[in-house]
Amino acid sequence: MNPSICLYFQVHQPYRLRDIRITDIGKTEMPDYFDHEKNRTVFRKVAEKCYLPANALLEELFHTYPGFSVAFSLSGTFIDQCREYGPDVLASFQRLNRTGHVEFLAETYHHSLSSLVSTEEFCEQVTKHVQTIRALFSQTPSVFRNTELIYSNHIAHIARLMGFTGILAEGTDHLLRGRSPNIPFVPPSFRLPSDQEKMIRHHRPLPARGRHITVLLKNYRLSDDIAFRFSDRSWTGFPLRAETFTDWILASAGHTVNLFMDYETFGEHQWADTGIFDFLRTLPRIWQEQGLQTKTPSAVIRDWNQRNTDVYDAHSVISWADMERDLSAWQGNQIQNAALEHLYALEDAIKQEGATTLLEIWRRLQTSDHFYYMCTKYWNDGDVHKYFSPYDSPYEAYRRYSHALHDLQYRLPTL
Amino acid sequence: MSIHTLMFGWEYPPFHTGGLGIACQGIVRGLRHHDVHVTLVLPYPNQEKGTSPFPEEDVCFARLTKMTGAYASRSVQSHSYKEHMLYDDNLGQSIEEYTAKSLEVTKHIHPHIVHCHDWMTYEAGSRSARHHRTPLVAHIHATELDRTNFCPDPWIFEREQQGFISADKIIAVSHYTKNILAQHYGIAPDKIHVIHNAHHLVDAAPPLLRNNPSKHPPLVLFLGRLTVQKNPEQFLHVAQRVHASSPDVQFVMAGDGPAFTHLIDRACAMGLENCMVFTGKITTPEVQCLFQKASCFVMPSFSEPFGLVALEAIAHGVPVIISKQSGASEVIRHGFAVDFWDADKMADCILTILRDGSLAGQLRSEAPHAIRNLTWKTQAGQIVALYKTLTHTA
Repeated sequence: MNPSICLYFQVHQPYRLRDIRITDIGKTEMPDYFDHEKNRTVFRKVAEKCYLPANALLEELFHTYPGFSVAFSLSGTFIDQCREYGPDVLASFQRLNRTGHVEFLAETYHHSLSSLVSTEEFCEQVTKHVQTIRALFSQTPSVFRNTELIYSNHIAHIARLMGFTGILAEGTDHLLRGRSPNIPFVPPSFRLPSDQEKMIRHHRPLPARGRHITVLLKNYRLSDDIAFRFSDRSWTGFPLRAETFTDWILASAGHTVNLFMDYETFGEHQWADTGIFDFLRTLPRIWQEQGLQTKTPSAVIRDWNQRNTDVYDAHSVISWADMERDLSAWQGNQIQNAALEHLYALEDAIKQEGATTLLEIWRRLQTSDHFYYMCTKYWNDGDVHKYFSPYDSPYEAYRRYSHALHDLQYRLPTL
Repeated sequence: MSIHTLMFGWEYPPFHTGGLGIACQGIVRGLRHHDVHVTLVLPYPNQEKGTSPFPEEDVCFARLTKMTGAYASRSVQSHSYKEHMLYDDNLGQSIEEYTAKSLEVTKHIHPHIVHCHDWMTYEAGSRSARHHRTPLVAHIHATELDRTNFCPDPWIFEREQQGFISADKIIAVSHYTKNILAQHYGIAPDKIHVIHNAHHLVDAAPPLLRNNPSKHPPLVLFLGRLTVQKNPEQFLHVAQRVHASSPDVQFVMAGDGPAFTHLIDRACAMGLENCMVFTGKITTPEVQCLFQKASCFVMPSFSEPFGLVALEAIAHGVPVIISKQSGASEVIRHGFAVDFWDADKMADCILTILRDGSLAGQLRSEAPHAIRNLTWKTQAGQIVALYKTLTHTA
């Protein structure tokens, strides 16, 4: 039997920081930490190159191919930026939603690393995100994807207690140990301390905890063929044609091939002149000809009701980032760790303070991109292009971030 | 068969005022690691007797009758050539004599390549290359534009340009300098090869063995010639801003130069008399000591082809804030690079380093690690590769 194909696109924008100075910290008038001009410029650029044309193309494809479907996860900060800088972009996602071919997944509203640090904050952010998706798209997400596919047994367990029936993860070789990523897995059974389970119950985004949770694993080879290698002229697969790619999917076999990637792949990471849109346009036709079905994550899980599902055992935390597929992109050096520690040290004080503006600012500072920009893993190689950063250097990223945190801390009387 | 290079130099330790001499020495020693036979020509006072002050073998001297006041600003004060100057009013005359004499003393050797350092030696280099029918490499360590705030002496500018034109390849010490050559001297970029300077600081104290800086008031250091190019006045502006936020910070302006007294006056006028120390001329052990005490190092240069002193600071485990208008910013990955005019931001970077121990700690440990491969031996390897392409095509 041919595998089905599950397409999921991540849509996210962070709030980049302004160059505030130490002398601004603690001023009567609170400095604005966020660079609205920069954020608007980037948002509009990506909207014109990616979101609008790609959404228009998908809408067209949904009308032509009634069986074609995709899943999106829109981060809350992306949705906020749509409201500020691009109502047209939000409207185009709502149009796509009305075709009935789109599933929206749940994630942390602020695209944060909270799952690693504070379970309470994690639950609150997921709840906020689920509520927002429901309000905008009249859909209640049943599948969860954590920031940058950060995943562990622990996180899968929390997602189940939150009420999700599925969770996405990276299909890393060392955890698959030779098994195919193209079949659904389950996490090992797991218990949390009862006070934690109680707390999750208290903050649960969905009405009831799930009995089981299914893990869908990213097929990173085939996903990255599109996301990273599509326009690489030194790659043996170049130029990649939809026919060839479909042959690879067929050869990959299994139950479902999970193609997970950033939505910005289309038009932003891979520019339009690479032929990426033509590639996307051709895929559904070829798939129809070959009898390949697309399914959204919840449909894959619904159709998979086999007993004895294999266990995907992630004791330590994995992610979809870099070659390492671990946390080193956000927690790999002293400045990242100091910043993360400082950030969450403010949690109690922020929540006691009860001021919604400060809480929202604190949460925007949780976006994982802030830590990614401070990454120095490949910095020695002088390979500045390895990392997309709006700042000159990881140290500049840290300086701006640290100033924002110090100012925020200053606003909290309890500290 | 080993390559034989005929090299024309002007400054050479112990007779040097800045980076040119140190870089030349690094290159010569690096090339010898690669079995390149280097014949080095240096200016030398005619009347000097006794043993050669240069430990390198195969140094030819272009003996100048009137090296008026040569080497005055050299780092070793006690040396007997005190009265001589490398750069003075009769520089034109000295260069002319250097050119003639150096050609004379080297006319019978048979080099594969001629390599000359900065404009003073370009005329000698290009005539020598013609005489020996070899390719010519012009090495540029600093342009007249860097030294003069982009108001060059037209005579010097022209000699530089002439040297660039007659060279087969130019080695620039940074992409920053390469851009200046392309934009201001009209040199084709594909003729310019960038080979960064290196450092040879094996004697620097390991960062982990440094004194705990928190026991003393934080010390912010400037080290360099007090000339327009190094932008020392900017350091005062930066200090003033830091002082306003953190009055306990100490500043040291180390080095000597034409702007010395002016800077002291300015510092007093700016109210920095109690927190700013001027060292004047400074010895190597004193430099070491300052680096060990410093919490961060600032190089606000107006236009810096490279900036070896920043690498020296890093090798001592001192976090650096350097001008973006510098070649060093191309190789220093772990530090702050700020536009030379942005005193506000430089002050902010200093205050951030002083405030956040994790940041200072990471800069202290990562920066030396990242430049450990930038040695004269590896950089000389790139010069050898360039020699080989030139001699094969010649």
